[in-house]
Amino acid sequence: MNTERRPIPPGRVSTIRGHWQRPALTAATLGALVLAFAGLVLPRDVADALQRAALTVVIATPLLRIVWLCVRWTNERDWRFLAAGLALVAVVGAGAVAAMGR
Amino acid sequence: MGSLPYRRRNHQSRDGPRPPPAGHSVWNHQRHINKTHSIDSAFEVGYAVISMQTALYVLLAFATAAIGTLGGLGGAILLVPVLVVTGTSAAIAAPLGLVTVAAGSISAAPRQLFERSVNHRIGITTEVVATTAAVTGALVSNAIGDRVLTYVLAATALTAAVAGGRRRPTRNPPDPACVPSDVGERVGSLSGAYPVGGGIAPYRVVRLPAGLSLMALAGLIAGLAGAPGGFIKTPATSEVMHVPTKVAAATTTFTVGITASAALIVFALQGRIDTRLGSAVVVGALLGGQAGALLQSRLSPSLVRRVLSVLLVAVAVVLVVQA
Repeated sequence: MNTERRPIPPGRVSTIRGHWQRPALTAATLGALVLAFAGLVLPRDVADALQRAALTVVIATPLLRIVWLCVRWTNERDWRFLAAGLALVAVVGAGAVAAMGR
Repeated sequence: MGSLPYRRRNHQSRDGPRPPPAGHSVWNHQRHINKTHSIDSAFEVGYAVISMQTALYVLLAFATAAIGTLGGLGGAILLVPVLVVTGTSAAIAAPLGLVTVAAGSISAAPRQLFERSVNHRIGITTEVVATTAAVTGALVSNAIGDRVLTYVLAATALTAAVAGGRRRPTRNPPDPACVPSDVGERVGSLSGAYPVGGGIAPYRVVRLPAGLSLMALAGLIAGLAGAPGGFIKTPATSEVMHVPTKVAAATTTFTVGITASAALIVFALQGRIDTRLGSAVVVGALLGGQAGALLQSRLSPSLVRRVLSVLLVAVAVVLVVQA
């Protein structure tokens, strides 16, 4: 069992508290659940659109969290991690372009 | 509601070229063009058959998410092998597994943000490597045979069984010098402090290159087999990079959602996501994850982890025999 004591890390504490993220993520979870369920039980004419919408919410939300973090890190002037966030967005974009090219 | 698609399909099959089956969007159009005969045969049996299949996927996703959440490994690590064992192609099961990973990541986030146990800076730093590997794995998986993917899945299930069975809690002692305002991640560094046992425990990432190597492995497995790399990421973050287990687990939940999303975009563009089955597993996984979280406090975590390990070993053996 690791019981080594570490010193208090230097630097400012991040202001990220999740005040906006928490309700937004709760809404995304409930929205995806309702859309997916409705997509399974409603007639097919509307079901297709609802199923696509549910999956879009599920896929897009984690990526929107990266964008949100980039905005917060810009406000905090944390350029190193802003660069990491943008690099991650670039990797996802490059993957999409590569998949379209195949 | 049930008879309309049946009639429409019969009408289309007599009058000209068949469009993709109703209920399947452009996301999976290509796959159904290639398998028109077999898919239509299944659909012509009647709408009730499809409803039963959908219900089965909801139930499987519910059960695996509940068990996976209880065991702390997530549902997809069990769902994907079970789908393959029950006859779903590994190439189709992988995206469905990742859909449950992304859904689980979103649903767990509000509670973890409230506890301030996620370190976003560690998550994004490790994700640059893991997502690159996941996207590469997803791109390559289209060219790899189902048999190889099944072997990868079996190896992944076995590794998860061992990792889940052996996992031990790591305790970082609170530092009396820390005050509540120290809780959170630090600007400009991979460090922070979190509340534990009535005190505040600081932490700082060590051995970053070794941790990143393991993250790349986890991402590659996610892209290839659709199994979340959480069973690699959490131990790598806590044991190799010396981040407290609670922070490591919460950060991993955050990162596996990103890995899954990146790979799912590739799968969607390849036409490999079945929207109806995807919606079915979203419903099952979200409800099952909540049920598992509710049960978690009533059952012994170590016992559940052992049972989950035994299940994973059994599934891995069946996969190898089937392949």
